[in-house]
Amino acid sequence: MAEKTVMVIGGGIAGIQASLDLAGRGYKVYLVEKSPSIGGRMAQLDKTFPTMDCSMCILAPKMIDCSHHHNVELVTYSEVKGVKGSPGNFVVTVLRKPRFVDETKCTGCGICAEHCPVEVPNEFDEMLGMRKAIYMPFPQAVPRAMTVDKINCIECGLCQKMCQAGAVDLKQEPKEVDLNVGAIIVAVGFDLFDSTQIPTYGYGRYKNVVTALELERLLCASGPTGGHLIRPSDGKIPRAIAFIQCVGSRDRRFGTTYCSSICCKYSVKDAALIKEHEPNTTVSIFYIDMRAFGKGFQEFVNRAKSEYGVRFVRSSPGEIKEDLGTKDLTIWYEDTVAGRIESSKFDLVVLCPALVPRSDARELAKLLGAQVDEYGFFKAADILTGPVDTTVPGIFVCGYALGPKTGDIPDSIMQGSATAARVAEVLERV
Amino acid sequence: MQEAKVEAEFEPTILAFCCNWCSYAGADLAGTSRFEYPTNVRIIRVMCSGRLDPTFVLSAFRWGADGVLITGCHPGDCHYVQGNYMMERRFAFLKEALTHLGIEPERLKLEWISAGEGEKFAALIRDATQRIKQLGPNPLKAT
Amino acid sequence: MGKEEPRIGVFVCYCGVNIGGVVNVPDVVKYAKTLPNVSYSEGNIYTCSEAGLASLKKAIKEHSLNRVIVASCTPRTHEPLFRSACREAGLNHYLFEMANIREQCSWVHAHRQEKATKKAKDIVRMAVARATWLEPHDEPELEIKDTSLVVGGGIAGMTAALTLADQGFKTYLVEKEPELGGNLRGLHKLYPTMQDTRDILEPIVKSVKANKLIEVLTSTLVSDVKGYVGNFKVTLSSNNEKKDVEVGTIIVACGAKNYTPPKGLYQYGVFPNIMTQLELDALLREEKIKKPPERVVMIQCVGARKGEIRAVDLAGFPKSDTARLLAKILKAKKEEGWPYCSKICCMNAIKNAILVKDKFPQTDVIILYGDVRVYKEYEDFYSMARESQVKFIKHIEEVTPEIAQEPEGKLTVTAYDALSGQELRLPCDWVVLSTPLIPHKEEVLLARMLKIPISSDGFLMEAHVKLRPVDTQTDGIFLAGAGSGPKDVPESIVSAKAAAARAGTLMANKKMRTEALTSVVDEDKCIGCGLCEEICTYGAHYLEDAKSHTIAALCRGCGACAAECPRRAISMQHFTDEQVLAMVKAALTEES
Repeated sequence: MAEKTVMVIGGGIAGIQASLDLAGRGYKVYLVEKSPSIGGRMAQLDKTFPTMDCSMCILAPKMIDCSHHHNVELVTYSEVKGVKGSPGNFVVTVLRKPRFVDETKCTGCGICAEHCPVEVPNEFDEMLGMRKAIYMPFPQAVPRAMTVDKINCIECGLCQKMCQAGAVDLKQEPKEVDLNVGAIIVAVGFDLFDSTQIPTYGYGRYKNVVTALELERLLCASGPTGGHLIRPSDGKIPRAIAFIQCVGSRDRRFGTTYCSSICCKYSVKDAALIKEHEPNTTVSIFYIDMRAFGKGFQEFVNRAKSEYGVRFVRSSPGEIKEDLGTKDLTIWYEDTVAGRIESSKFDLVVLCPALVPRSDARELAKLLGAQVDEYGFFKAADILTGPVDTTVPGIFVCGYALGPKTGDIPDSIMQGSATAARVAEVLERV
Repeated sequence: MQEAKVEAEFEPTILAFCCNWCSYAGADLAGTSRFEYPTNVRIIRVMCSGRLDPTFVLSAFRWGADGVLITGCHPGDCHYVQGNYMMERRFAFLKEALTHLGIEPERLKLEWISAGEGEKFAALIRDATQRIKQLGPNPLKAT
Repeated sequence: MGKEEPRIGVFVCYCGVNIGGVVNVPDVVKYAKTLPNVSYSEGNIYTCSEAGLASLKKAIKEHSLNRVIVASCTPRTHEPLFRSACREAGLNHYLFEMANIREQCSWVHAHRQEKATKKAKDIVRMAVARATWLEPHDEPELEIKDTSLVVGGGIAGMTAALTLADQGFKTYLVEKEPELGGNLRGLHKLYPTMQDTRDILEPIVKSVKANKLIEVLTSTLVSDVKGYVGNFKVTLSSNNEKKDVEVGTIIVACGAKNYTPPKGLYQYGVFPNIMTQLELDALLREEKIKKPPERVVMIQCVGARKGEIRAVDLAGFPKSDTARLLAKILKAKKEEGWPYCSKICCMNAIKNAILVKDKFPQTDVIILYGDVRVYKEYEDFYSMARESQVKFIKHIEEVTPEIAQEPEGKLTVTAYDALSGQELRLPCDWVVLSTPLIPHKEEVLLARMLKIPISSDGFLMEAHVKLRPVDTQTDGIFLAGAGSGPKDVPESIVSAKAAAARAGTLMANKKMRTEALTSVVDEDKCIGCGLCEEICTYGAHYLEDAKSHTIAALCRGCGACAAECPRRAISMQHFTDEQVLAMVKAALTEES
């Protein structure tokens, strides 16, 4: 029955939590995810602040719960194309993109990928690593099945030949299905601000200027470098690393005037991680305000300063210049505390960009009839009385799809649980 | 401390009984926080310090443990209300029993550690390792 | 020993580099195979991943394993996951054991790799020794009552109660004060909308009182809690009258209170016109203020962010003032306070600064800060304050600002500007101290009754600070609001809804299975002394026909009876004497 069925759009931690809370009380949940695997941003991280838990270690059990739970149906590699109806009775049209692999037969053994002749950059690794045209985005992917990227596939058919389970089906067609649900939860997460918009930082031109998410992939043991921190241009271990906060954040030029809430925290975490990997590397964080609030965080920053020797420079740097030969970088900045203009050389510069709405968020909002705020995030019906309600009855939202009022992972999880309560409240009354 | 060469080579084996709700969690927190300590301790998880039959401790010494640590929740905080009080009573008896058996009672220590006290756990291990190194090997091992 | 020959499988996890980077995992895998009763061993990069679990289940079937050990992280996080995998492979999950070689090995011995590897082997050997003695068990089923108790009638407590009632659950809402509302009752306006707090609070209080499923009990305290998930027996006391209620879940929403500085800190309580933000808030509610201030100076982080004063990087300070500053810093005693950041005080100060400017446009308002921690879209609020001419000055926090009294009731604040290094002397009329939210003293008593640990910052500790922010380590007890850490109103509301969701999920299921960790009496050995009945906190033992019996549904598995029994007639399922002693022996001897 539709009244006991819910659709969750977005398979990140917020969507996963909402799904598990609802499934746990007997609701059937369709967990719809655009990419081949659930997990979202948390799967891309190495460690989470301030506990320094390995991100995948704490995420994986929840991902597996979703795949094993009899009330959760994973609808991955799929997109929402249309929505009609009202609370208690929505009809959502979902496009199931063809994976060209039968999920029920694929064992995830990877032999197909070993033989695939096509290599392209891996989106999951933020384009730093490579994958084949038939691929699994990361080793702990759920569902554990391969996907064929038809755009880059040359249709040689080797994968089909090598597959022992007969799971490859290059003739799969896209399928549109209509799913009848009682309520919808939006949990589509965020994208990073496009740092090429600040040309003076050289992102996109200088190989050794990377974003924080790219850094996470470099630090992660299952990432493109196996967890070895080496810099993109020449594979050398960087000996001097700089973090630049608020790239695009708090910035009137781009309309992203808000504070993204998590960048100060994760940069200090990354700095501590780097010092653990490479104690001889110096790490400097260029910040405007060090926003280290939240449980245990001030103490973590104190430790970063005293035990790890991370250098904090209160400055919003003006320009980064690259040495054409060595690909080393020089940052020109005003040290506001010392009151001097300085330049410092670094091997690697990490930009902490603003978190912005996903490029497809507005389109989804339009489909759902939900309003977005001035930044493009899903608008909450009311911060106090309806913090996880969208402006459409029966449609709820959680996680960073709501924007920076979601602080970090615990907030996404709490919002996910809160939407589950809202769904229960609304559907019990229908 | 740099004592005689003989003691510098002696690496004690210390057994720690930790209760699931407080001290075992505190030990985990020491790990999550990366507070380092020496490798000499072997942890045995029990649900409550009140579970510890005195013969567990005596067997440990009989089989060659150089030191035994008993850890539990702070008084008043026991997950099962009074398990830790029962352990405390047994502790007094154990200290005496050890003396009678010719084992230095300082080899046995009782410490209350909460789930939030990671650093305290690490400090306990560092201190115990240091102390028991100085005491030397379990006297029963020679027999 | 089990009736069958144990066939133990050992799965050693690399956990990426978390374990593999310190412990020589292949070595441990090889070593495991040499241990008695071990039929199979393998290493996994991430045993908790789909691949790892698939490999685990495959091995159980292929090698007919009847005991499984996973050597990886702490059982406190992944034991349920691995137990479920064992069940799926047809194995009773009490035949599963974990060896903690991460939190209690690789993570604390990062620089002692060889010794850590030896320790990991010892830990595996201990687990194998225990596994040899493990037995299958059935789990008793518990009924979950569909009534809830919310402790605390502030915004979080009321939100939780309304959310529970809207899901159809009867809820008791207990509040120690005579009125509902908590901290919001004392507040004038809320940021960033600048709504009157009364306009927000009154409708919610009205809804709560009108809701037929919510029983409001004001001037009431929780004086005792017995029982366990699904079946808590709570004693409430009000004016020396006691009332017992039975509930299935409990949500703790006891909140936090504002820190009042001790007399003398920043001259609070010594000179007039020095107040906390809360006191300023109350002042601004009054219609007429006799003498409008010409200048107000607000000082942030009073009593917060007071970690040890570490070595300050003096190279950052301009040379002219360095010597004087150094002398001041070295002389400075460690300022009293709490180590954490209370998150909401920056916004609160800005809100009050804007309110002051609204009331007295001519007044100069200066905020002395270390970092301006306005996050989310509140950044715009900060811009608005600056546009209203509120001045923000970053001062050198390591040097405590000094307050001096001047004639005619005026004050002077002396601080050091962090950006210029210059000494600032700020004559002013009012000094406002921004203080953190701190835990209630009563919270400690509640925490004890409910077995909730307290974190190092004094607040209630959640089960996992990242992944289980509203759960506690006790099933059936949840946290909402500022009791677990400073939160603003929207955050308190979301956390309350989340706690109510989690409690609701539990109660909606009406039943759950509990651990089989119960006591078992060997009647042949029992002499009927009655000691177990006397000491059991839960009343799980009773004597009949001069023999002791266990009521499994009441037994919580602490094991005190087993330890106290003079005849060793009681054993604890899944924590038997043999199992513990096997681990002790294995820890101390290479042979087991």
